[in-house]
Amino acid sequence: MSATAALAAPRLARAADSKILRFVPQANLANLDPIWTTQYVVRNASLLMWDTLYGVNDKLEPQPQMVEGHEVSPDFKTWTFKLRPGLKFHDNEPVLAKDVVASINRWMPRDAPMGLPIKKRIDALEALDDRTFRFRLNQPYSKLLFALGKSSSPCLFIMPERMALTDPFKQITEYIGSGPMRFKRDEWIPGSKAVFERFDGYIPRDEKASWLAGGKRMHFDRIEWQILPDAATASAALQNNEVDWVETPSSDLIPLLRKSPGVAVDIADPLGNIGSFRINHLQPPFNDVRARRAVQIALSQEDYMRAVAGDDETLWKTLPGFFTPDTPLYTEVGGEPLKGKRDYALAKKLLAEAGYKNEPIVLLVATDVAITKAEGDVTADLLKRIGMNVQYMALDWGTVGQRRAKKEPPAEGGWNIFHTWHAGADCVNPAPYTALDASGDTAWFGWPKSDLVQAKIAEWYAAPDFAAEKTAIDGLNKAAMDDVVYIPTGFFKFYQAWRTSLSGIVKAPFPVFWDVTKA
Amino acid sequence: MLAYAARRVLATIPVVLFVALFVFSLLYIAPGDPAAIIAGDQATPDDVERIRASLGLDRPFLIRFGEWLWHVLNGDLGTSIFTNLPVAHMIAQRIEPTTSLMILTLILSLSCAIPMGVVAAWKHGTWIDRLVMTTAVFGYSTPVFVIGYLLAYLFALKLDWLPVQGFTSISQGLFPFLRNLILPAVALGLVYMALIARITRATMLDVLSQDYVRTAKAKGVAQNGILFVHALKNAAVPIVTIVGIGFAALIGGAVVTESVFAIPGLGRLTVDAILRRDYPVIQGVVLMFSCVYVLVNLGVDLLYTLFDPRIRY
Repeated sequence: MSATAALAAPRLARAADSKILRFVPQANLANLDPIWTTQYVVRNASLLMWDTLYGVNDKLEPQPQMVEGHEVSPDFKTWTFKLRPGLKFHDNEPVLAKDVVASINRWMPRDAPMGLPIKKRIDALEALDDRTFRFRLNQPYSKLLFALGKSSSPCLFIMPERMALTDPFKQITEYIGSGPMRFKRDEWIPGSKAVFERFDGYIPRDEKASWLAGGKRMHFDRIEWQILPDAATASAALQNNEVDWVETPSSDLIPLLRKSPGVAVDIADPLGNIGSFRINHLQPPFNDVRARRAVQIALSQEDYMRAVAGDDETLWKTLPGFFTPDTPLYTEVGGEPLKGKRDYALAKKLLAEAGYKNEPIVLLVATDVAITKAEGDVTADLLKRIGMNVQYMALDWGTVGQRRAKKEPPAEGGWNIFHTWHAGADCVNPAPYTALDASGDTAWFGWPKSDLVQAKIAEWYAAPDFAAEKTAIDGLNKAAMDDVVYIPTGFFKFYQAWRTSLSGIVKAPFPVFWDVTKA
Repeated sequence: MLAYAARRVLATIPVVLFVALFVFSLLYIAPGDPAAIIAGDQATPDDVERIRASLGLDRPFLIRFGEWLWHVLNGDLGTSIFTNLPVAHMIAQRIEPTTSLMILTLILSLSCAIPMGVVAAWKHGTWIDRLVMTTAVFGYSTPVFVIGYLLAYLFALKLDWLPVQGFTSISQGLFPFLRNLILPAVALGLVYMALIARITRATMLDVLSQDYVRTAKAKGVAQNGILFVHALKNAAVPIVTIVGIGFAALIGGAVVTESVFAIPGLGRLTVDAILRRDYPVIQGVVLMFSCVYVLVNLGVDLLYTLFDPRIRY
């Protein structure tokens, strides 16, 4: 009862308070362990609560955050880092190197794309003194700083040692942070509200903030996350000045919000998202590359994007490549199969050559997620057009999440196709890009296997300079297109909306609360 | 009657046990996997499997059911897979908003529906009767969420009288409490009001044609006395029955209403838990709702004796 009473504070009094930010997140914050779960809503809340050793700025460059600096040996195998002085946890205990070591050890096994490769290379990870820790690697890992500061989930958040010693596959039981805001566990009502209050012991860096880098200066005493699962309600609450900021308003309601006085609307994440047509490479007919290419040359990204993001063409574009547009490594080399007029006749011919004989194609569609529902509907139509026998499985996301892990034939509970999307921040280079891994059994769902793709990824890791990286990425893009690791269905963005009384809102792959002020 | 009530309460135990077994079995065979949701979209199949094992979801059905039942019998509804909070605590957090919504809905619905039904029966065949029945048909056939959006648009966005969403505890004052709850209660209550108004009208029509009503009129009893003292009391048994049956509809409607008006109640807790496959929470909430429903039915049965002394238990 007391928690419910805490939920209910005088609304009008709060609306006028410039020290309280009322934020509507993209989803319910059901827990707060950013290592145990990789959900983005948890990552976003954790960015308030915990700090990171490095942080990427808006140019995707890792910048020192909790560390003062580092030294690296000439062979790039020994990395020594020193923490900034004065760092404190929310229980006012100092942040020590042993806390960092424990946090890294908990993070590595849960971060398949970057943490695990580092773990495999480690000879020793040790705290040298209270502020210094060292990696000793048995082979160089050129992307170490990016891994320590990346924004994709799971991020390497620094927790007290006693928390970080928790099995990474089990949930932590206390929430002691190292970031600018403290979690108010006593006010937490999962599914309704989460409250963060400013931690006065946090010392921001001197530099100007840029995404996860620089000084994270908080101008609010409290940030209240209000969970509003209904998009129309969230939109109405923003119009009625009951909330200040909606992270992902429904695209359908954007025209209405644009006309509303006191409401501003803009793109949320400039890195956007890449739609994904995920194919099971283990099962016929898509275990034959000709069948995968048949779909690839028939697929119209414009159809997908109009279904996903509507007719507002500022929100989407076609994408003849795997990497995030407008980022340094973006390339269209090898992207021809996704360009130009779609060729159903050739698709049918390729399917026949692959030996397809009208077997049911099991298409898993998460109908409770608007994006996957839209993608699934377009796919069902596309497959019918090229003469495939579609078995449309309308499921919820929880069930798709379970069933996509099955490697059995579709008739025995497996699958052929499902849809998802990848955050553009995860697709800027091969390191965090799980979906592009083509290592077969150990790859992401669909289990693509291509030695050439893997060789190109390795070439990128070993690249000595940007030009070499670019060459590797061109080759990787073409190899992944040729093998049809998966089919990008286009690039799209979401909007965010806020009251014009707020200033300092920036475009980023996550909500950036620092430097936001309220009139 | 006390012995009867005690027997009925005891009889709820096998019912609740059956519900528990049914829900547990249903969740066991239903597709979906909380481990996949926890692991997130980018997780590897191996990660998902390790999380499933750490949650004990890979153990046999009977062991899981037996453990859960033992804990329930010891007063422990378990711990949420996702929030790591005790299920009883999560239910306690949500009980006030839902109870408040239900009680206010009941008060509003009954205070409107019964007079409407009585008047419609009294003015049978007139424009008043048609107006009441048209309103009832509209209320019964319009989805709760449509009513909810329309009310929010009019009273919050256009007139700026009431908030769009949220809940204020009654401990913060009656006015703020009602200010938040009035729109959801009206939205939810409309269907309930329609149901009761129709039953009241039909039952009253039957009662008003009885001989004793004619006798009361002949004796010069005032119209209000005939309607609300003599006739309504005799029409009460079917009305009370439908109030009880409608309670289940009210629980279902609360799920939608709580989502539309962002009320942190048990309905939303249930939906969130189902979408995430948070098994302990689903089991705890369903168990609680089934107990409440059984008790409401018991209450309805006991009320029969109040309205009709011929009924004995």
